[in-house]
Amino acid sequence: MAVAIANTTQKSVTAAVADLHRQLSMEEPKMVIYFASAHYDPHALSAAMHAAFPGIVVFGCTTAGEIVGHKMLKGTIAAMAFGKDIVEDVVVNIGTSSNLKSAFRSFESHYQISMLDADPEKYVGIVLCDGLSCAEESIMDKIGNLTDITFIGGSAGDDLQFAGTYVFASGEAYSDSAVLALIKCGCCFDTIKTQSFTSLGKKLVATKVDEHRRIVYEFDGQPAVQAYAQAIGQPVEKLPEYFMRHPFGLMAGGELYVRSPQQLKNDSIVFFCHIKEGMMLHVLQAEDIIQETAHAIKEKEAELGTLKALLNFNCILRTLHIEHEGLTEEYGLIFKDVPSIGFSTYGEAYIGHINQTATMLVFA
Amino acid sequence: MAGKIKEMIDQIIEKRAKGNPSIAKITRTKIVFKGIDPDEYTPDTEDDPEIIRKVQQIADKFGVTL
Repeated sequence: MAVAIANTTQKSVTAAVADLHRQLSMEEPKMVIYFASAHYDPHALSAAMHAAFPGIVVFGCTTAGEIVGHKMLKGTIAAMAFGKDIVEDVVVNIGTSSNLKSAFRSFESHYQISMLDADPEKYVGIVLCDGLSCAEESIMDKIGNLTDITFIGGSAGDDLQFAGTYVFASGEAYSDSAVLALIKCGCCFDTIKTQSFTSLGKKLVATKVDEHRRIVYEFDGQPAVQAYAQAIGQPVEKLPEYFMRHPFGLMAGGELYVRSPQQLKNDSIVFFCHIKEGMMLHVLQAEDIIQETAHAIKEKEAELGTLKALLNFNCILRTLHIEHEGLTEEYGLIFKDVPSIGFSTYGEAYIGHINQTATMLVFA
Repeated sequence: MAGKIKEMIDQIIEKRAKGNPSIAKITRTKIVFKGIDPDEYTPDTEDDPEIIRKVQQIADKFGVTL
């Protein structure tokens, strides 16, 4: 069996982990990944998961909602165990924005490879970051400097409480950190990045920013809120109503990388990710999220054949939009024939830190 | 003088990608995330010392010698 999938609604850590362990029974799993509601005690959960799967690489994070196959859930734990036919080998390390090199040295030592020269067709990385650390950009930037292997994933959530998010590995729960897993794949794999936006044809250049605090003060020398209001043709006081429908996009190689506004602060805009001074951003227009996501999955299936497993890192803003529009069932149906789990994230990871996107790792 | 910025960016991409077109495309995207859009620079772009300094920093971070 390539993968086993589990989901538990048990409220206590002990009962939940026992339930997951029972559902994940498979011969010689190599890796277990799990996504848990923030209502579980993170330290107890990580310790219990580590103890329940001895000798197996086990890691995960807290969420803003779990995804299991066609179901979008809350207050549960979703887990997937991978057999050797998919995950030939895997190593997990903890990194921080100031220290990724030791994690990378450990990867190099385990696989006897240079991370700079390692074959991106053989290896893939999963990265799960503390979703409240504001360190994702720095972590993704440093990963990109150190390797050409793709690292894909998302930022941990906490059921929209914004109080504390955790990543799990080796029986511990960490904040202000990222879990980095480097997988040597036993089968074909690829990534999907899908966002349901097109450019409005209007571009704004960030001319005054506080990058670290993710604030843009000015676009094209004007107060940011005025420039944004003009671009979308709406009054300043109504802008927050249009954040979801009109985020911004960085264009690179014909691909959009979404940057979402979070709030207005006087004349400036606070984003969910950083904007560098001088960056040119496209103002975006929302399109059909169901159609775009279904198309992305179908396209990948046409390219790779039947998908054996899929990990879905789905932005919480997409989840909220899907729920608001009553599209939860329709969205879930896209995944009904694919063994998949995922979670609603506080940001997605693919080359950089991005928003309002679903990043997916698929095995075929 | 003109064209140095494009020349430096092209060298970074070429040396990092080593002929792999997928890595070349991803390296271009990484450079955009670092605040420099390779598409904005042509052989006619004036040699702005501030941009040259930023591109050199990117090369250093990638471990590429120009």
